[in-house]
Amino acid sequence: MESLLERMCIDAATESAVAVDKWRRQRRTLERMPSHLAEALLRRLLQRRMLYPSLLEVFKYSVEDIDLSGESFVDAEWMAYLGAFRYLNSLILADCHKINNAALWNITGLTNLKEMDLSRCSKITDAGIQHLLSLPALEKLRISETGVTADGVVILASLSNLLLLDLGGLPVTDSALNSLQTLTKLQDLDLWGSEVSNESVRILKMFRNLSFLNLAWTKITMLPNLPSLTCLNMSRCAISSLFEGEGLKPRLEKVKFSGATICNISEAFQYVETSKLSFLDISNSTLQSYSFLSSMNAMTDLDLSGSGLVDGSVEHIARIGATLKNLNLNNTKVSSEGINALAGNVPNLETLLLSGTPIDDAAIYFLRMMPALKVINLSRTHVKGFMQLGSALDEVPSFSALESLSHLESLNLELLHIKDPALRPLANMSRLSHLSLRSVSLTNESLYHISSAEKLVHLGLRDTVVTDTGLAAFTPPPALEILDLRGCWLLSKEFVSRFCQKHPQLEVRHDLFETLDKRNEYTSPSRATTRTPKGKNKQGNSSAPPQYFLDQRLKYSREELLSLQILSTVLPTSSGQSNPLP
Amino acid sequence: MKKEDTVMLISAEGFEFVIDKKAAMVSQTIRNMLTSPGGFSETEHGKVTFPEISTTILEKICQYFYWSLQYASGKETEFHIEPELTLELMMAANYLHT
Repeated sequence: MESLLERMCIDAATESAVAVDKWRRQRRTLERMPSHLAEALLRRLLQRRMLYPSLLEVFKYSVEDIDLSGESFVDAEWMAYLGAFRYLNSLILADCHKINNAALWNITGLTNLKEMDLSRCSKITDAGIQHLLSLPALEKLRISETGVTADGVVILASLSNLLLLDLGGLPVTDSALNSLQTLTKLQDLDLWGSEVSNESVRILKMFRNLSFLNLAWTKITMLPNLPSLTCLNMSRCAISSLFEGEGLKPRLEKVKFSGATICNISEAFQYVETSKLSFLDISNSTLQSYSFLSSMNAMTDLDLSGSGLVDGSVEHIARIGATLKNLNLNNTKVSSEGINALAGNVPNLETLLLSGTPIDDAAIYFLRMMPALKVINLSRTHVKGFMQLGSALDEVPSFSALESLSHLESLNLELLHIKDPALRPLANMSRLSHLSLRSVSLTNESLYHISSAEKLVHLGLRDTVVTDTGLAAFTPPPALEILDLRGCWLLSKEFVSRFCQKHPQLEVRHDLFETLDKRNEYTSPSRATTRTPKGKNKQGNSSAPPQYFLDQRLKYSREELLSLQILSTVLPTSSGQSNPLP
Repeated sequence: MKKEDTVMLISAEGFEFVIDKKAAMVSQTIRNMLTSPGGFSETEHGKVTFPEISTTILEKICQYFYWSLQYASGKETEFHIEPELTLELMMAANYLHT
């Protein structure tokens, strides 16, 4: 985190190309600049589209980590300059589509390089891997979804310092995996989508420090005992047995079996030490029994969405409920009765997702007994918003049961058959910041009820029959930032834009105004696809439009363009006699 | 101005800047030097020498100290930084924790 003055200096240094020219020749200073400052400056230049290959040179003695992921213009010329970065420690080139084998040749011999990410650089093939062999210090290598084949993987065997190897989506064969047994230091191995099978899993035992293993979408059905393992992903695998064999069993912490076919789950978990297991994802796989859950006393995140879970099995979840924080039961067969079984047993539960389950209003009543709830999803259920009290005919709004949940921040009530009066209790929820509604039966009255929910930041009112007059009369809660009105077909463009003008702080989403997104004004497409917000200087995005990708045509008026067009058709003939133009 | 309320900052070239102690305390590094119990001669004499910081930069730093005090009290004025000073100033800021 830079201090205020450091940040102001970076702002001033990257204000314009002229400013850059003022400091780029201060070589001595640049050479002894602490790496974190140099990196912050470089990041900002990149963000502002002011970085170009020859400018990279000024950073060659100071920068240690460089992240160019998603920058489609990074090519061999950039790499030529990066090859001179003497102290380079980490080079992230994920999704840099112009990077090819020849470009990699430039960085051969970087003796300090420890981390290299070439994920999804599809032009990299086996020949490119040859260039990587000259990086003796390499510890982390990511080449998932590149053009590398099994032959290319085989030659990685000489990078004996590797701790992390991501080969996701590559056609790694059994024999290729066999040849990697020399990489005995490996801690993280990613083999998702590869061609490895049970034939070669025995090799995994050679990696004595292996802690993270991803075998999703492979043909592997059984694993030998891997005592050091903590994270395992076998999504979409057919799992028969795990860790059978002698010795200490691995203490798994995170397990993903999403969409896996598990014939006998109790048998599969027979040798698994589950006392430390805190994250389990068995979504979208059908299991006969859930009794294996009972011993998992450290569980905090449990995802059983899309599984065949029924009310009768909920008791197994309730038994380990004390530690649970996030529970995903979307698209299961759990009904209100199942929620009843959970109530009172999940004192720390913060997130409960029940979308697409057959629960009704009775479930809401039981939610009261889960005091830590912050996020609730009740969309696409049978909830109607009203409950019958006793035998009497009077109905009470069921959401008023949620008023006692003092931590509730997010509530999803999309695609329910609810009517306006059902929403009345929402006004009393003191912490509610996110509310999603989407029902054709909701009208202006809903808007009125919601306007008194003071903490609301994000309000979704999709597909409702809110009208122009309703919107005009709506006073947004003070904290509101986003108002989603997509599918509110009764609203007219005129009224929505008038509403926007009246509340300029709001980001309003409506089908007639897809472009009203104020936040993304200056973000270019390539930036939007980057995986993570880069660096620590968040305010960097706000300043100035990108300078290097301005369409040159913008400089000219229509008339000028037309005359240029004529000129270009005339020129070749007039200069045909190879006369240089004056 | 009493002597106890001021502090002398000395640049690499030997130029002396006498500023309010309160302003100098904007820098965490100087604050530590001036307030840490025992040891630092700076604490006793109220003099701090910066052999790494040139006069131009130290002057700018002193201006920043005062600007920062104003800024903290809600007075939002612009603090202009000449592009040619940015790198040196940034490094000084890093060293001074300000």
